[in-house]
Amino acid sequence: MSYSQSNIDANHLKEENDRYYAFVNLALILAAVTGIELVLVYLPFPRTIIFTILISLSLFKFIGVVAWFMHLIYDKLILTMAFGTGMVIAFGTYTALLFLLGGDAVAPPEIPGR
Amino acid sequence: MSQEVAHDDSHHNLMVKNKKLLMWLFLGSDCMFFGTLISTHLIYRKLYPEEFDPTLLFSLELTSFSTFILLMSSFLMALSVSAMHKGEIKSFRRNVIGVIFFGLIFLGCQVYEFAHFVHEGLTLSTGTFGSTFYLMTGTHGVHVAIGVFWLISMLFYSKGGNMEAHKNAVDVETAGLYWHFVDIVWIVIFTVVYLIEFIA
Repeated sequence: MSYSQSNIDANHLKEENDRYYAFVNLALILAAVTGIELVLVYLPFPRTIIFTILISLSLFKFIGVVAWFMHLIYDKLILTMAFGTGMVIAFGTYTALLFLLGGDAVAPPEIPGR
Repeated sequence: MSQEVAHDDSHHNLMVKNKKLLMWLFLGSDCMFFGTLISTHLIYRKLYPEEFDPTLLFSLELTSFSTFILLMSSFLMALSVSAMHKGEIKSFRRNVIGVIFFGLIFLGCQVYEFAHFVHEGLTLSTGTFGSTFYLMTGTHGVHVAIGVFWLISMLFYSKGGNMEAHKNAVDVETAGLYWHFVDIVWIVIFTVVYLIEFIA
């Protein structure tokens, strides 16, 4: 094995070892956040505040897993774009459905199947 | 260039391994799939809020436990991918066994939850809530089951010394991406389907 090849391997090994600590820290944070979420719903705070915090924490966990566990921050931008496109369309679907069906004027009064 | 090298170095001209790019594209499309299922559930909850009160049925403790289990399985999956990159096959196998074990616990919790709900009268045909809830969480459960099956296959394949770091790291990474995706979908479902129902 040449010197440059062994140098690349050593760097690669160092990178993987550094990531190990990032993974451990993230796992601890994710576990703690899940515990906080569980406690939050029982706290006597206004609904809007709790709702906002829960959505923010969920988003934080989502980004944590996608960025570190799925290596998106270490990888090419094209992969973020491939996944991001799906995410944008998924969120767009929800927004469109909310506008189309969410209004009281278009909601049928009876429950289907009843 | 020999055929072996051509297979081993199957890069797209975007400098990303083909398998990995394909998996990310699949996950993007799966996002749309789950986006539709989750949206449908939320829209129907908004349209018919009085139809069903899930707080009488949901057990937040059990669901939080399932969430914790799935998050930890993701952590072990990240470690197994890392171990494979370093060529530590034994460590890879140990971590994959952990992921499979946690995946099975998650599935067990879901089966228990479904059995309890059905016993209490919430079935697939119990109005829009039952339909959208079971379809969404059931589809997620099927994804978890496929992931477990995939990892078990990988574990058996690695047993005979068939796996090598430079050759199979991308295969493990692809399986890992799928597993993490299942985890992030649950992160969303846990908040918007379970937790939000309990806000007073």
